[in-house]
Amino acid sequence: MSPTPRSGSGQQRAQLEAELQARRRRERRLLAILAGVLVVLIVGGGILLQAWRTSRAPSTAPSAAGTATPVAIVNGQPIRLGKPDAPAKITLYEDFHCPHCADFEAEFGPTISAAQDKGQALVELYPMSFIDAGSATAANAMACAAEAGFGQAYYQGLFANHTLQWSEDQLVALADKITGNKTPAGFSDCVRKNTHRAWVQSINDAAVAAGVNQTPTMFLGGKLVDIAGLTVDKLNALIAAAAAG
Amino acid sequence: MSGPPTPSARFEAAAWWISTVARLVLGAVLVVAGGPKVGSPQTSVQAVRAYDLLPDALARLVGWGLPFVEIAVGLLLLAGLFTRIAAVTAAVLMLAFVAGVGSAAARGLSIDCGCFGGGGAVEPSQTSYGTEIARDIGLLLLAGWLVWRPRSRFALDLREETA
Repeated sequence: MSPTPRSGSGQQRAQLEAELQARRRRERRLLAILAGVLVVLIVGGGILLQAWRTSRAPSTAPSAAGTATPVAIVNGQPIRLGKPDAPAKITLYEDFHCPHCADFEAEFGPTISAAQDKGQALVELYPMSFIDAGSATAANAMACAAEAGFGQAYYQGLFANHTLQWSEDQLVALADKITGNKTPAGFSDCVRKNTHRAWVQSINDAAVAAGVNQTPTMFLGGKLVDIAGLTVDKLNALIAAAAAG
Repeated sequence: MSGPPTPSARFEAAAWWISTVARLVLGAVLVVAGGPKVGSPQTSVQAVRAYDLLPDALARLVGWGLPFVEIAVGLLLLAGLFTRIAAVTAAVLMLAFVAGVGSAAARGLSIDCGCFGGGGAVEPSQTSYGTEIARDIGLLLLAGWLVWRPRSRFALDLREETA
């Protein structure tokens, strides 16, 4: 216990004790206020941080060095990215707002892109939209970008900025970043008019019809790939085997 | 004081250790639960929306803010600072979680509770409302104990509250 003066009159002792207690109470109140302010700052700051992270402009984007071939959008049909005669066929079911898809893309995206660039693999992309409204606007914009010929880079840009809510402005800004502000006029219209909404719905239906109920889901040459146990080496081997066979 | 400890003194000593464990477990669970949600704000908001209980703007605010509340309360508990107030907040959170998950179960929704990140719709066979509610009630009991007995070992509160 804290030391208290043993000498002096009882009255003095009581007075000192009272002063000490009053000081403790003041310190404790000050500490409580500080802690309260700190909690409010953390929570308030956190909300502001998340608001910024979802509403800011896209920060990173690859340049559109990949395929410049426009891709046709057909209801129920995936977006095909890569050389049409590539021997290995990779089918991907992803939602642009699914965190595991962003993780998958961060880990395996470069491997798949390399295989596409080498003409080894063709990607059939089914951009599903079940997480939120941003999933659907992003899927529509993905179709617009593929049509405009920068689908590959746009796909990577969408996942590189997956915390964004994907408003129309953000989707157009991403295209501007990829094309170096040379976004075709048609793209902006396509995004703002939600031109491919029927296609977006048809992709969800196609996924259900294919029995896909989680993202990311990957098929290689029509065979389901176990993503949980996948490594980059294994994926490379799988692609090489599919390309050889 | 000397002589054999009285039963109440023995209980007192045990209570201090129980409070210590309760404080550390509850604090760690809250920090671990809040952490991953901070990383993906869209998913966090969607996990709240999946309960279909709050208007959209509020769901967004909760989705963004709740992870930070969990982390802040968790850190206070781990530090043992303002244990009673932090425990009251934790108890309120757990009550809200039990009510939320319970209402989702009662309405026949099939969602993941999103307790430790993730969340949203899942297959009806993949729901685990029973486990989720049981876990939250367990944590609620820990919080309740701490409201009753906030004093514990290795806590920053110690000097203040025993003074």
